[in-house]
Amino acid sequence: MANIAAKRIKREFKEVMNSEEVAGGYIKLALVNDSWTELQGTIVGPPDTPYEGGTFQLEIKVPETYPFNPPKIRFVTKIWHPNVSSVTGAICLDILKDQWAAALTLRTVLLSIQALLSAAEAGDPQDAVVAKQYRESQQLFLLTARHWTNVYAGGPSAIWEFDQKVQRLLDMGIDEHEARVALSHYDWELERATEQLFS
Amino acid sequence: MSAESDMEYSDNDGDDYDYYGEQDDCDMEAVDRSKSDPEYFVFSCLRVEEVEKLLNESIELLSNSLQITPSLAKVMLHAYEWNAQEILKKYQENANEVLVYSRVKPSLPLPQGNSSQSVCAVCAGVPSVNKYSALACMHYFCDDCWGMHFEVQIMQGVSNTIQCMAQDCEVRAPEDFVLSHVAKPAIRERYQQFMFKDHVKSHPQLRFCPGPNCQWIYQAWVRVGARRVECRGCELLTCFSCGAPHHAPTDCATIRRWLTKCADDSETANYISAHTKDCPKCQICIEKNGGCNHMQCGACRHDFCWVCLGDWKSHGSEYYECSRYKEDPNLGTDNQHAQAREALKKYLHYYERWENHARSLKLEEQTLASLKSRINQKVMAGEGTWIDWQYLWDAARLLKRCRYTLQYTYPFAYYMENGPRKELFEYQQAQLEAEIENLSWKVERAETTDRGDLENQMDIAEKRRTTLLKDFLEFNTNSASSSKV
Repeated sequence: MANIAAKRIKREFKEVMNSEEVAGGYIKLALVNDSWTELQGTIVGPPDTPYEGGTFQLEIKVPETYPFNPPKIRFVTKIWHPNVSSVTGAICLDILKDQWAAALTLRTVLLSIQALLSAAEAGDPQDAVVAKQYRESQQLFLLTARHWTNVYAGGPSAIWEFDQKVQRLLDMGIDEHEARVALSHYDWELERATEQLFS
Repeated sequence: MSAESDMEYSDNDGDDYDYYGEQDDCDMEAVDRSKSDPEYFVFSCLRVEEVEKLLNESIELLSNSLQITPSLAKVMLHAYEWNAQEILKKYQENANEVLVYSRVKPSLPLPQGNSSQSVCAVCAGVPSVNKYSALACMHYFCDDCWGMHFEVQIMQGVSNTIQCMAQDCEVRAPEDFVLSHVAKPAIRERYQQFMFKDHVKSHPQLRFCPGPNCQWIYQAWVRVGARRVECRGCELLTCFSCGAPHHAPTDCATIRRWLTKCADDSETANYISAHTKDCPKCQICIEKNGGCNHMQCGACRHDFCWVCLGDWKSHGSEYYECSRYKEDPNLGTDNQHAQAREALKKYLHYYERWENHARSLKLEEQTLASLKSRINQKVMAGEGTWIDWQYLWDAARLLKRCRYTLQYTYPFAYYMENGPRKELFEYQQAQLEAEIENLSWKVERAETTDRGDLENQMDIAEKRRTTLLKDFLEFNTNSASSSKV
C-alpha cells in the first residue's frame, strides 16, 4: 500500500512542479523529508480577497493508505477564515473528508483550498467565532482577515487602528498573539478583550 | 450465530411462532388484544436467516422483472428503501431516472474516449489491458487499485455506498464488482456482514433488537409514536418507531429530549444541588470550596453563614449553633437565580421519580427470580403444581409491566404544559402509583395474601395502567383505533 502512496506522491510532485500554477507562482510544493510522507504546500492569497498578497504555508501529511484516503492538511500560517480554525489551522473542506476521491491529486486539493479563500462556506464553519463575525459584521471580518494576513502571511495592508489596539495590550504585558486573538474575538472592543484576558 | 440464538431460545420452545408478541401469559387477555391493550402493535421477531430470505425475495423479484443482476437489484433496493413495487412502477415510466437516482448510472453523460487510457490515474502505473475495469460511468482504473480502494472502504465500515474512485463521480459499486476485486476472505466476510446490517437498517420494516449481542430482528409496518415490540431472545422492550427503549405514554421526540437532558444535566444538577447555595443578598449561585462556613459572596461581598444563610455579623462567636435557621431565606423569589433553581427543582422532582422507578424495576427483576425459585420449591415439596401458583408469577410480571409504564409517565409529565389535561394526567398517574404500591406490597407478601385479594389488585392496577395509556398515548388520542394494520 505504501508502495502505491510513494509512487503516487512522486508523480504528483512532478505534476505540480510542471504545472502552470507553479510557473505563475500561485502554489508551491516542497519536500520535508525523504520518505515522501510529509510535504509543505504554499498557496498565495487570491486577488480581491482580504488574503491578497499573503503567502500561506500548509502542512501536508500523506497517510499509508493514500490515495484511497485523503491527505491530512492544515494551515501552518495563522489565518482568519470561517472554514479554518484560528487556533489549530484545521481545514473544513469536503474533499478532505467524505468527498475525497482517489483520483484527486495534491494539485487539485491545493487549488481547492485556494478557492476556499475566495469563497468561504459560512454554513459549514470550522471556527464558530470567525463564522459568526463573517455573517454578522462582514466589514469587520474583512478588516480582521486583512490584518491577520498582514501580520502572519506578509500581506501588504496594515490596519493601523488594530495595530494600535494590539500594542495597548502588549504594553499591559499580554502576549502579542493572545492579544490579537482576544481582540479579534470581541470585534476589536478593547474593553471586552481586556476583561476576558484578565478574568 | 444462529446456533447460539437457538440455544438461548430453547427453553421457550423454539419453532412455534407467535406473530403477536408473545408477551404475557394471562389467558384472560389473549382474547382480543387489539381492544384491551392500548399498546397493542402487530410485529414479528425474525432470525437472521428469515430476514435474509425476506430480503432475497425482493432482490429476486426485481432482478427477474428487470433482467438485471441481483447485485444491481441490491443497489437499487437500497436506494429506494426496499420498495420493489415503486421501483418497477417508476422504471416503466422512466428507466434512466431510476438508474441515476440509485446511482447505478452517472447523472452526467459518459466521458468520451477515456476508455483507452493507458495510465491508471490512481497508482500512476501502466497495467495490461485485461487488468483494467470500470463501473457504468466508464472511469477505468487498474484492478489492484480497485481492490485497494474497496479494502480501505470496507475496513472503514462502508459497504452498500462504496463509490467510484473518480472525482465527483457518485456511481456506486455493486456487490459482484466489489467481490471480484477483493480476494482476502476476512475482508469479504466483513463486507457481507456490513451489507446485511446496512440492508436491515435501510429497510423501513426491519429493526435490529438493540439488546447486547442479540441477533433477533423485528419486522413491522412503520407507524408513528411509541410502538412496543418485545424481543423473543432477550425480552427487551423496544419502540419500533425510534429504537429507544419502549416509552409509552411519552412520544418518540419527547423521550429523546428527556434522555438527552438526563445525560447532560444529571451530573450538573446533582452537583449544583449538593454543592451550591444562592447568596442571601444578591442571589448569585455560590459554590463552597473550603471547610469554613464563613462565606463571603464574590459578587456583592456580603458575609454570611453557609449553614443558616444568616448575616455573619450577627453570629458572633457562637455561629456553630446557627440558631437563626428559620428566619431568613424568603428574600426575593422572582429573580433569575430563583427561577433557575425552581426549574432545577422541577427537573429533579421528575428525575428522582424516574430514577427511582428504574431502580425499582431492577429490583422487580430479582423478585421475579426469587419468586420462580420459591414456586419451584413448593412444587417440588408437593404443595400443588405450577398451575396452582401461576397467579403469583403473573402478578409479579404484571407488576413489572405496570412499573415500566409508570416510569415512562414522568418524562411525559415533565414536558406537559400546565392545565386541566396535565391535572388529569397527574391524577391518573397518582392513582396508578398508589395501586402499583399496593400490588407491590401484596406481591412481596404473596404467600400470606389471599389469592382473590391479589387477583383483584392485579385487575385494578392493570386497569389503571390501560386507562392512562388509552387516554394519553398520542396515537390513541388522535385517532381512536389505529393499531390494526
